[in-house]
Amino acid sequence: MENIIQAEGLRKRFGQQEVLRGIDFSVKQGEAVCLIGPSGSGKSTLLRCINLLEQPSQGRILFRGEDVTRIPPARLHAKVGMVFQQFNLFENLSVLKNCTAGQVAVLGRSQKEAEGKAHQLLEKVGMLPYRDARPSQLSGGQKQRVGIARALCMDPDVLLFDEPTSALDPEMVDEVLYVMADLKKAGLTMLIVTHEMAFARDAADRVIFMDEGLIVEDAQPQLIFEQPRHERTAAFLRRSMRGPLGLKQLT
Amino acid sequence: MPNSFFSWVLFLLDKYGALFLKGAGVTLLIAIVGTVLGFIIGLGVAIVRTLQLPPQANRPRRFFLGVSKWLLSAYIEIFRGTPMIVQAMVVYYGALEYLGLDIPALGAAFLVVSVNTGAYMAEILRGGILSVDKGQKEAATAIGMTHWQMMTLVILPQAVKNTLPSVGNEFVVNIKDSSVLNVISVTELYFMSKSAAGTYWKYFEVFFITSVIYFVLTFTITRLLRLLEKKLSGSDSYTIYGSQSHSKAEIKIQQPH
Ligand SMILES: Nc1ncnc2c1ncn2[C@@H]1O[C@H](COP(=O)(O)OP(=O)(O)O)[C@@H](O)[C@H]1O
Ligand SMILES: [Mg+2]
Repeated sequence: MENIIQAEGLRKRFGQQEVLRGIDFSVKQGEAVCLIGPSGSGKSTLLRCINLLEQPSQGRILFRGEDVTRIPPARLHAKVGMVFQQFNLFENLSVLKNCTAGQVAVLGRSQKEAEGKAHQLLEKVGMLPYRDARPSQLSGGQKQRVGIARALCMDPDVLLFDEPTSALDPEMVDEVLYVMADLKKAGLTMLIVTHEMAFARDAADRVIFMDEGLIVEDAQPQLIFEQPRHERTAAFLRRSMRGPLGLKQLT
Repeated sequence: MPNSFFSWVLFLLDKYGALFLKGAGVTLLIAIVGTVLGFIIGLGVAIVRTLQLPPQANRPRRFFLGVSKWLLSAYIEIFRGTPMIVQAMVVYYGALEYLGLDIPALGAAFLVVSVNTGAYMAEILRGGILSVDKGQKEAATAIGMTHWQMMTLVILPQAVKNTLPSVGNEFVVNIKDSSVLNVISVTELYFMSKSAAGTYWKYFEVFFITSVIYFVLTFTITRLLRLLEKKLSGSDSYTIYGSQSHSKAEIKIQQPH
């Protein structure tokens, strides 16, 4: 299968601090890859470098074999979609307009065509009934589903998720994970930063564990979760799998 | 001759009613033109002052933007740091004595109030632009919008809506502060009142009427603006459509205040 995303020797510095210290990996067509790791390990920065919200300091990122810095920004951004932890919906626009604005402005679609597409994808994430609502009127889980529909409306080749469920109340996490699992089944290529270990284990084709700006392990979920090759991975998983009810284990 | 306060007021109203009305009209006209043009100037200035070039932008562009930003902040400092009454004198007599331009007083009034208001609006709108959260800018960039599309579709509508109370306040300030333009003989309400008062030497009675007119103007406009704000802050209900049937239901959301 073709590589959709490929990073080669990617480094990113903020001032003196080197946040990414030489990252090599790839995501193939149709793969769902989960990126896990402790907070501050550079996961968000990696995603942001892929769609050029941050400029890599060194190394390069290829999109379908083409250096992303050579691709016209509008085309790259349309093809590489992003879903944010804080949803980042456009507060001044209705749910429907959130989904059509980019299609009209960036892809040059007609309003009617854009609305057709938006309807179809809002239906898919179960948000069509709310098409006239404002973002401020929605719950977190609903906002995130609109965020996903908005990204999908651009017909991306790959969708990057940055902790899509971390800002949600626990009871809303599942509605978003279901949507993501559906997308996976439909064959969408995805790179997902998440702390939902069960999701990574069950839904991902591959799991990448990052720590301190480096990829420690990159393997199939069973291997990562059942026989991690590095002690750092094992320690991180022990801490993450303890879960909210694991307080007993601490005391 | 009238012999009490009220009979004087009635007498003056009868005699100078048209004058007061004309003055109030000119005052309102200056305030409207000054606020609208000031808003446009302020919006332009705020957009430039909040521009950020991408890291790969070349040096001439950086230099040009740097100089523009410096000039614009000088403009804001100067016009906010000097009284409008002085600005009016400098513009009017400067144009007359050094440029040989005899600008009509009303034209000078429009110019001075617009440019002065622009300086305040620039800061108000800059605050409004910066207050829109960074996440929405990133989301706009991430779906491929250009900076200009992001500004016009997402940022500015929110910036303008959020600053509407302050923008409306500038309008009210302009109604009152346009009175200083009497120094360049603009026939606004204060100037008209002064000439009316001079004839019978009745300053208190005339300026009592004048203050009532100013108050009615600002009070009415404040209420109208409040109504507009309420309308623009959006209805707090929306229709929810069932996806299977065509049934509709109004959902009312209580917004915390
Ligand atoms: N814009 C920035 N400027 C400076 N430091 C940053 C910036 N963004 C991230 N960092 C730093 O980079 C490190 C990695 O951050 P991040 O990629 O957000 O990690 P993660 O998403 O894995 O929690 C952190 O130490 C963070 O403080
Ligand atoms: Mg992060």
